[in-house]
Amino acid sequence: MDGKCLIAIPELCTGCNRCAYMCSALKTNKFSPYNALIKTHNFSLNGFSVPNVCYHCESPDCLKACPEEAIIKDETTGIVTVDEELCTGCGECVAKCPYGMIELNSEKIAKKCNLCDGDPACVKECNFGAIIFEEPDREMKKEINAHRRIRIEGKSAENKRHQRSQTILENNRKL
Amino acid sequence: MNLYAGKILFVDLTKNTITSEPIKEEWLKDYIGCWGLGLRYFYDLVDPEVDPLSPENAVVVMTGPLGGTNTPLSARFALISKSPQTGTVFESNTGGAFAPELKFAGYDGIIITGKASKLSYIKIDDNKVSIEDASDMAGDGIFNTEIKLKEAIESHEAKTLSIGPAGENCVPYACIGTETYRQMGRGGGGALFGSKNLKGIVCRGTGSIKVSDMKSFLSLIENYKNTSVLHEDNLWAKTDGTPMLMDVTCEMGIHPTRNFTYGINEDVEKINSETMKKFKIGDRACATCLFACGKYTHVNGSEMEGPEYETLVLGGSNCGINDLETIIIFNRLCDDLGLDTISCGNVIGLAMDLAEKGRKDFNLKFGEVSEYLKVITEIAQLSTERGKILSEGSRQMAEKYNSHDLTTEVKGMEFPAYDPRGSYGMGINYAMSERGACHMRAFTAFEEEVFDIEKMAQAVVGGQNFNTAKWSTGLCDVWANSTLEILADIMSNGLGEEIKTEDLEIAGERIWNLTRLFNLKAGLTADDDSLPRKMTQAIQKGPYDGNVFSDEDFNKAKAMFYEMRGWDENGIPSKEKLAELGLDQI
Repeated sequence: MDGKCLIAIPELCTGCNRCAYMCSALKTNKFSPYNALIKTHNFSLNGFSVPNVCYHCESPDCLKACPEEAIIKDETTGIVTVDEELCTGCGECVAKCPYGMIELNSEKIAKKCNLCDGDPACVKECNFGAIIFEEPDREMKKEINAHRRIRIEGKSAENKRHQRSQTILENNRKL
Repeated sequence: MNLYAGKILFVDLTKNTITSEPIKEEWLKDYIGCWGLGLRYFYDLVDPEVDPLSPENAVVVMTGPLGGTNTPLSARFALISKSPQTGTVFESNTGGAFAPELKFAGYDGIIITGKASKLSYIKIDDNKVSIEDASDMAGDGIFNTEIKLKEAIESHEAKTLSIGPAGENCVPYACIGTETYRQMGRGGGGALFGSKNLKGIVCRGTGSIKVSDMKSFLSLIENYKNTSVLHEDNLWAKTDGTPMLMDVTCEMGIHPTRNFTYGINEDVEKINSETMKKFKIGDRACATCLFACGKYTHVNGSEMEGPEYETLVLGGSNCGINDLETIIIFNRLCDDLGLDTISCGNVIGLAMDLAEKGRKDFNLKFGEVSEYLKVITEIAQLSTERGKILSEGSRQMAEKYNSHDLTTEVKGMEFPAYDPRGSYGMGINYAMSERGACHMRAFTAFEEEVFDIEKMAQAVVGGQNFNTAKWSTGLCDVWANSTLEILADIMSNGLGEEIKTEDLEIAGERIWNLTRLFNLKAGLTADDDSLPRKMTQAIQKGPYDGNVFSDEDFNKAKAMFYEMRGWDENGIPSKEKLAELGLDQI
């Protein structure tokens, strides 16, 4: 994947949620944004939306937390995936991901983004350039790292994402 | 079920009961969804002579078959009820993301009857639905109510419909707000909620909507996205949003200025799209939209999504206000207090005109900011004498001050921002609408030959039928080159059974005629399909300086319209027409 990563640019996100419609359509064969693996959090009062994406961390907290070794990081592509056969649905990964980007589905199996095996559909679906898949330059890397430093513990996945998104909004409006 | 969620929720606020029933599948082909399907349920349920603000009136909230799918611009939904502003059945629709959320919770629509014993809200947490106490939200604006409703359901991503103090006080032009800056603006939906002691609805839906064959559906949508939706004619929505119309209507001479006295605003550059762009900080979209026509704007610490064209004109030009920050404050106040900006701008403009003509001094003057901003809260809260008078609307004010020559309303609903004296089609459109002066039913302003009575009457009939069918699917107007053929294709693919273009065409006409039947039974007569006296006085300034829309021309148009509709000279649908539409047995 040549150092490419999935990058969210909240200032360009309009909250249309097409990314989540497409993600759920491809992953679940139904339209169900709630079950999508990309999550947009919206602040309509402030006119701001934050697409939350999995960073496929170098040293993933979800992977380290899994007692079944059901979470795997592909050494070549860097993509972090769940082996559904091995997952017991204990939820340790959900608790440990500081970004709220892994959750149990209705069948109690951990679900997370797999970058569509290296060709993310959400990127193609975004008409506003708010989700891109590319090798970040220096400036962009700084921005991503600033977002990644916003780590939340001890809350539900949805609340972690909300709190992170809220912080990103506040930082953005300070500028 | 494909495309539909499959269930309708019935909430009786008097009996405090909640039930759900399978959607009436036998109605879907004839009435589609949103306006059509909502009207069909409403027609069965409510006596046309009902007092709109009584517990016996029902409020129907209905989504369409395309909502919840990734069909671009498909997230609109409708409210259908009898209007406290016009005494007619009316439809009001909006976007945002409430419609898909409701469908993901498992319901295509909500039918609300009765009246709660205390201020309440409806909580829809997937299939767990309850009526809850909203006493702690009494008097709150919509912005704060939305926050409280989301806290109550413990999800920041829940979607809401709610009212502000204007709705609680049953102001006849009170709106319902959603996603902070979006509204079911016209016809008094907010007052209907208020009359039922209903502060709002909060919904969280974690389910799904199915289509017959996902792969085929996605490929069809991708095709229409590229070949039709993203057409260059639609891109104004992305670059400018509706403020694009500010310069256009001035050039056309139909830009309501100073209580519809002038056809152009000579200061328009202070509040036009170019000015707004200097202050824009973001673009905002409804669910599934490819354009994001909502422009988030920040001026000197005042910010909001908007203002939209109608508000810039009625709250701006029409009141002699040419300052963007002031209009933002006006707009935010209306959105938060729960007032329709179109009617509110009309009413304040009328009050300013009454003062200028020396007929009644409300201490409101064209172009003067401070009282103009103050009176908005007074209207919503009925807190002063002038606030109470303005809250009643233009028609009542005209009665009171013997000033029917100054008002711009049809059936009690104030004019939108296109002066019919420079665009006859829009006048016919206003007069023939089921809910009074509405620009959306048949938007003819950009047609050629806008003064050709016959062509305009035809355009209004065609526009009404088309829009009624289109809106019943949940589609937004911004996909302006959409056709019923495209919609039938998408619906057929999603449902896995054929919907013919002709089915949708005739559904549009059927829905329009059923609306008419209700209104006739509610007491509406051909005399109500009329334009205000002001249209027979000359418009001033601009390319149509001196123009009128004479009674003679209007009456010709009206007769042609009735004939084209298959209605008699009293505006009553013929037996043959009703039989043709399958409405003879209803």
